[in-house]
Amino acid sequence: MNIQVAGYGIICAIGNDASAVLESLKAGRTGIGPMHYLQSVHKELPVGEVKLSNADMLRMLGQDETTIISRTVLMGAIAIRQALEQAGIATEGKRVVVINGTTVGGMDVTEHFFRQMSEGNDLLPLLKKHDCGSSTRQMADLAGLADAEVCTVSTACSSAVNAIILGSEMLKAGEADIVIAGGTEALSMFHLNGFNSLMILDKEQCRPFDKSRAGLNLGEGAAYIVLKAHSEPEQGAPCPIFIRGYGNRCDAFHQTASSEDGEGAYLAMCDALQMAGLKPEDIHYINAHGTGTPNNDASESAAIRRVFGEEIPPVSSTKGFTGHTTSASGAIETVICILALRHQFLPANLGWKEQDEACIKPYGNSTLINSKFKTGICTSVLCNSFGFGGNDSALVISSVPTGSSPEENRFKSEQLAEATILSADGELDGQALRQYISAGEARRMSLLMKASTLSSMQALREAGIECPDAIITATAYGMLETSEKFLTDMLEQGEETLSPTLFMQSTHNTLSSAIAIRLKCHGYNMTYSQGSDSLRWALRDAKRLIETGKARTVLVGLHDEATPTLQNIFRRMGKPVPPRLYSRSIILGRSPASD
Amino acid sequence: MEQLIKDLKLQIKEALNLEELSLEDFDADAPLFGDEGIGLDSIDVLEIIVLLEKEYGIRLANPKEGKAIFKSVRTIAEYVQANRKK
Repeated sequence: MNIQVAGYGIICAIGNDASAVLESLKAGRTGIGPMHYLQSVHKELPVGEVKLSNADMLRMLGQDETTIISRTVLMGAIAIRQALEQAGIATEGKRVVVINGTTVGGMDVTEHFFRQMSEGNDLLPLLKKHDCGSSTRQMADLAGLADAEVCTVSTACSSAVNAIILGSEMLKAGEADIVIAGGTEALSMFHLNGFNSLMILDKEQCRPFDKSRAGLNLGEGAAYIVLKAHSEPEQGAPCPIFIRGYGNRCDAFHQTASSEDGEGAYLAMCDALQMAGLKPEDIHYINAHGTGTPNNDASESAAIRRVFGEEIPPVSSTKGFTGHTTSASGAIETVICILALRHQFLPANLGWKEQDEACIKPYGNSTLINSKFKTGICTSVLCNSFGFGGNDSALVISSVPTGSSPEENRFKSEQLAEATILSADGELDGQALRQYISAGEARRMSLLMKASTLSSMQALREAGIECPDAIITATAYGMLETSEKFLTDMLEQGEETLSPTLFMQSTHNTLSSAIAIRLKCHGYNMTYSQGSDSLRWALRDAKRLIETGKARTVLVGLHDEATPTLQNIFRRMGKPVPPRLYSRSIILGRSPASD
Repeated sequence: MEQLIKDLKLQIKEALNLEELSLEDFDADAPLFGDEGIGLDSIDVLEIIVLLEKEYGIRLANPKEGKAIFKSVRTIAEYVQANRKK
């Protein structure tokens, strides 16, 4: 079955819609510049902001411009509306699913009002929209999709590509008629300071793959594509676009650094090519993750060299245009790839001047048109998207559908083991912990990390499995303790001397990737954050992996914590107070009955 | 100098959450990084940079500069003594 892109929408630093983005790309015009909308003391850091105020966006969406809505939600709703309009397909009576990639959710609003929230109850309702799942729901409603099912994927900077992968899988499995998939992320003080604490932000314009590269510039934006199962080419449809292949793998190396040989990236690209039924030489362009950090670009280059050998097709990172739009980047770059295919041009790699031995040589620093594009034979491109924790994914986007592929084998799944840890006060069984976690490891682990590791290891042991084929985490609030500590330090002590350890453990995918690093599990790795529906989405994914033969064993975990602050907020809202720690790990495997 | 070394040991132990490491066993000349010695990593470098700014007003712009400075507690102490702003 082929997955067709029926429409797309985009808003980012280089344009508020696809035609503006196309124009900027062709003109080689960057959107990165001095900070204008973000309220941060770090004015020395250039950013790729969307050139609209929140009030502008509220007006575009027909809302009262004094309403407090997260910029992440506003940008997302605008991009979804564009995508639906372009697709022009009726959604009534159809099973429509919105799959959104985001990490900070409503953080831009929360960080602004957090202190007022702790003083009075008036602004507390804003917090209900803070978590990823709620912000996705709000965005879908604003985009006119109140009846659609929603799901949030949160694998840090690869979130949006994983949203597109999930959407494609759901369509193939017949679980949806129309999928709107992509990602959104507004700049926040929270993650600007977080990346700054890791010392990977460049004070100059970023220079991906260049010898002098010294870090990334953060950006913001949103992009979504409308996906449907492809039956017959429509009459007169101009240049159909297909999501032809994809891969989701884990580098299983380090929470924030990529491995030297780019193992996760290499495996993701190989999987994507294999599913697409294409050889490396069939790829005409690679849109690299290429953030501009010394580590990412060298590691990605090593992975590209491993896949493509001496014959590397033109590669460029478009982050010199948009900045690194984190969770949204995979969707923004997917739309850039679609524009490249439809308009037969090659986006430049802005900022590149000097070859680095450790890196591939990207395709030019101007807007020269590549010969293959000139003759109009560029049909297939690869889009890389990597995230913290080594959550590495890749897409093959093509104007040519795959040949008829044989039906996937169907297997049955069954539960092999389960382990649950529930702690009202945050105390964990010290003896059990020491069995799996050394003192050296424990020093950097929050309570939730310890609990999730413990329940995972116990369930794996019960099932007699050393390393599962895939790891999937469900979490409503994610890494609350570390995120909250980072946020309060930032608000109380100011935007200097913040702890990098806290930030690198703030993303929702920290748990899944930490377990993958522990087990050296390079398989599929995914994190869902959709409120109380999170576990249902995770289990659905695990079953699909087993039933389609993509995995034999899957570790699924539901891990959540309620810090004293959150417990207090629940109390003040008159809601039941959740326990300090809850961690449940389930092992699903292929049922012998299906062999 | 000896007092500064003592302070630094305590501050590093606390910032990096090195609970198992007793101050008596924390040799001022032991290599902080690599397998022989304390066994710290690149994230610890960033935390020590934060510590130096917080406690001594020293700003290191590039983590690479830290390599020579962060060999051992003694080398850090020497650097702090020469560059401290508070």
